[in-house]
Amino acid sequence: MDATPASHPILSCKAMTCEMDSVSGPLQILQDINFSLDTRRALGIVGESGAGKSMLIKAIMGIAPRGLRTKGRIELDGQDLSALKPKQRAKLIGRKVGIVFQNPMSSLNPFVQIGRQIEEAGCIHLGMSKAEARSRAIELLSFVGLPDPEDCYNYYPHQFSGGMKQRIMIAAALICQPDLLIADEATTALDVTVQKEVLDLLQTIQAQRQMSMILVSHNLGVVAGRTDEILVLYGGNVVEYGPTSEVFRNPRHRYTEALLSAMPAMDQPAHTRLRTIPGQPPNLANRPAGCPFAPRCPSAQAKCHEVMPAMSAGVHPSHRFACHFPLAEIAHVQ
Amino acid sequence: MTDIGNSPAFKPGPNAKLGDIVRHAMPWSSKMKLPGATPFEFLAAIFLVLLVLVALFVDFIPGLVSPKLPYGDFSQLPEWSLNGLFGTDDIGRSIFSRVLYGARTSMMIVAVSTTIALVSGLLLGMLAGYYRGIFERAVDLFANALAAMPSTLVVLAFVAVTGPSVVTIIVVLGIFDIGTYARVAKAGVISQSNRDYVLAARAMGATDSRVLLKEILPNLIPALTAVMPTLMAGLIITEGSLSFLGYGIPAPAPSWGGMIASSTDLLSRFPVLIVGPILAIVLTVYAFNTIGDYLAQRLNNRERES
Amino acid sequence: MSSDIALNDEIILEVRNLSVSFSRGGKEMKAVDDVSFSVAAGETLGLVGESGSGKTTIGRAILRLLPDANTKSEGAVRYKKTYLNTLSSTDMRHMRDRLQMIFQDPLSSFNPRRNVEDIVAEGLVIQGKPASERKSRVEAALSAVGFDLATVAGRKPHQFSGGQCQRIAIARSLAVEPELIVCDEPVASLDVSVQAQVINLLQDIRENRNLALIFISHDLAVVKNVSDRVAVLYMGRIVEIGTGPQIYERPAHPYTRTLLEAVPVVDATRKIEPDGKRTVMPSRNRPQGGCAFRSRCPRATQICAETVPAVTPAPRGQMVACHHPHDEPAPGMAVRTQR
Repeated sequence: MDATPASHPILSCKAMTCEMDSVSGPLQILQDINFSLDTRRALGIVGESGAGKSMLIKAIMGIAPRGLRTKGRIELDGQDLSALKPKQRAKLIGRKVGIVFQNPMSSLNPFVQIGRQIEEAGCIHLGMSKAEARSRAIELLSFVGLPDPEDCYNYYPHQFSGGMKQRIMIAAALICQPDLLIADEATTALDVTVQKEVLDLLQTIQAQRQMSMILVSHNLGVVAGRTDEILVLYGGNVVEYGPTSEVFRNPRHRYTEALLSAMPAMDQPAHTRLRTIPGQPPNLANRPAGCPFAPRCPSAQAKCHEVMPAMSAGVHPSHRFACHFPLAEIAHVQ
Repeated sequence: MTDIGNSPAFKPGPNAKLGDIVRHAMPWSSKMKLPGATPFEFLAAIFLVLLVLVALFVDFIPGLVSPKLPYGDFSQLPEWSLNGLFGTDDIGRSIFSRVLYGARTSMMIVAVSTTIALVSGLLLGMLAGYYRGIFERAVDLFANALAAMPSTLVVLAFVAVTGPSVVTIIVVLGIFDIGTYARVAKAGVISQSNRDYVLAARAMGATDSRVLLKEILPNLIPALTAVMPTLMAGLIITEGSLSFLGYGIPAPAPSWGGMIASSTDLLSRFPVLIVGPILAIVLTVYAFNTIGDYLAQRLNNRERES
Repeated sequence: MSSDIALNDEIILEVRNLSVSFSRGGKEMKAVDDVSFSVAAGETLGLVGESGSGKTTIGRAILRLLPDANTKSEGAVRYKKTYLNTLSSTDMRHMRDRLQMIFQDPLSSFNPRRNVEDIVAEGLVIQGKPASERKSRVEAALSAVGFDLATVAGRKPHQFSGGQCQRIAIARSLAVEPELIVCDEPVASLDVSVQAQVINLLQDIRENRNLALIFISHDLAVVKNVSDRVAVLYMGRIVEIGTGPQIYERPAHPYTRTLLEAVPVVDATRKIEPDGKRTVMPSRNRPQGGCAFRSRCPRATQICAETVPAVTPAPRGQMVACHHPHDEPAPGMAVRTQR
């Protein structure tokens, strides 16, 4: 492995905007998304349903549904993806990025032995020989923690539990030795104990292989303690972006803070009243002019309904948030 | 039709003009709620509505002669008049009049047979789907046995024993469709029973009959209406075939199949005389199948949405 | 055998030695195995477990909502003085206004062809209440969950969001004025911001009406918030049952500890170090002797493979089914903070 200490962005999005037509007019799915992920770093993308997290991943991967218009610049390992022809683009993404989706049942073909499904991308993108691909696949199966990998190679998906299938998907995502691993709600369908194991596995792999990783989840707890940075999406906008521990310790955007207080916590006594967020997430077809959270925000003022707040920096220079009236900085207690 | 879908502003396709014309010419037709129907589906629906109206009110069409009495010369060729539109048959009766009265015969058979089949099929299918077990096995056996029998031959056998009568034909044709309705109903009940709303109704204390009739039955209607037109088209064809073979509707009563059969002798000399009844059968069957496809399509769309 | 202690004496529901098995293709699968617990009036009992733990089956077995075909239930379910499991189906129907249920996916628990008013009124229609009384009770039930009858009456369920649908589902249950509601994963399909509304609503209703709740969930944080007592299920059995603090602060069963350690919590100060443990789930079709958790248990010994542990009192007062229960506080539980 190359051990150059200097890190550069493996993935960056600049002014990325996604739009799609629907019966009720154009939908603003994502607006002005900016972030960059350095090598060997882990990024968490969190948001509720409709926040645009899975569309963001699909737009980056070039697997967005037809009719999605993406503007802005996406750079993968220094190359501008929009400048590439679709074939080259697919090849580059296939080589550099591995992805694990939420539902392993629909990602795995039930009639093909899992070993062959793991090899597939390797044969296509790296031109591996049959024998080479097979030995890589078996190596990966044992790496992701399947017992008896040689036997498992010949098994079919239905012979595995949900957690095991997700491990198999991870093995398949690793076959091309990607620089970036994306887990799109990869542990959402799993039981908590299995979820923890799969998250542990992802974290171990990321560290061992010196990859970058993106964990996409609706569950803030999943990204807490496992990612370096976190991107909070709301109604298609980045509302807060910064070092994970900073954002959780000291949320500045009112949505992030409201979301954290709405979660039942393990250290509260029973029957603690939870803080609620009134109203509904924004309608993408008819979004308000100002801050997307303004209609539900208890501290919103006239300005919030009119002007979309720009990203501003907190005390920690890389902690950024889009709020006109952010929460006060809490003094650091070490 | 190659450019459909390329332009985003494109709405109902180049055939839209036909549909617009139809809607414009028949303003009342806009009351027919057929969202997303193509003009062909729209015309098929209008044709079926007209057919039902003719079947109900053929007696009141002014100037139309009786279908059972001679009207003009034998085998008169078509001419531009109400009764002579399709010509006359071998004993001088108006073919046009007989086609219209034949519609009444066909519609009556379709309506009564379908009612018999639908009611019994629904009952059997719902019991089988809800209680499973022995009910289900018995209904499956019955439906499979029916599906394995060639309906035309069995009806022929019946008619050979009882003699041609409208009642026999209607009942036997009805029985043959029970199997299909039962299967559709059973599949529907099984899939609906797994939904939480059925469980919720039971948790509320609903009786089995309430669950079946008030909760599940309304949700079976879309699936049943989607198969109904296709089965109705089958009834028209079977009835036509029986009449053609001479085992259908007894002689003086007008029926499309019987008319085709009686004009076969004249076919070499006056082939144009067969056009009327054939057109009636073809158009009716086509219209039923088109509407069936349309309903099935809509059902699929709706299920995908929910 | 008394396997738990209710907080006060007014026990309204008692489940004794409940077992449920399903047969499929000649094979029998035990979904619930010898489960006993009780619920007091106004109390919330949390049933927590992972998929396949039998929690949903227990809820449905209590309300007798399991399909008759291919299902075998044993044991007793007593509601006040009535044994529900031996009632005729007609008598059971008359009990249903006192025992209600809320489902995970509210939208699918509504008949898609009904409007909101008919949905909420359904239980009252079934009870044969006159239309005038129905109207006022529906109005009261809807206003208890924050809706105005006049504005929502004619609307269809798909016009509402998930959280709103769940509130309508709660109103439907409340309309018949039950004494116990089985809530089967009522917030699992909701977003966090909406989940809090529904949890608070359930709490308010429970307090105002002295309702007993059986709260089924896989989410330990949600269960901790809503429950007075918690039962932890593993493969159809109760492994531990006790008050919230007993279960969450001094869990005695190794499985409870595994579960608690796995909960993803938002904790800014914690950096999670992967521990590389891997679960081997025992097969359900080939029942093994002894404790079902032993293949995953760090404390397992010979005796765990030989005898199924009985539910016995643990040192801290909860009931636990383990040969080697823990006594020390769970690591990190006391110091775990949100931020």
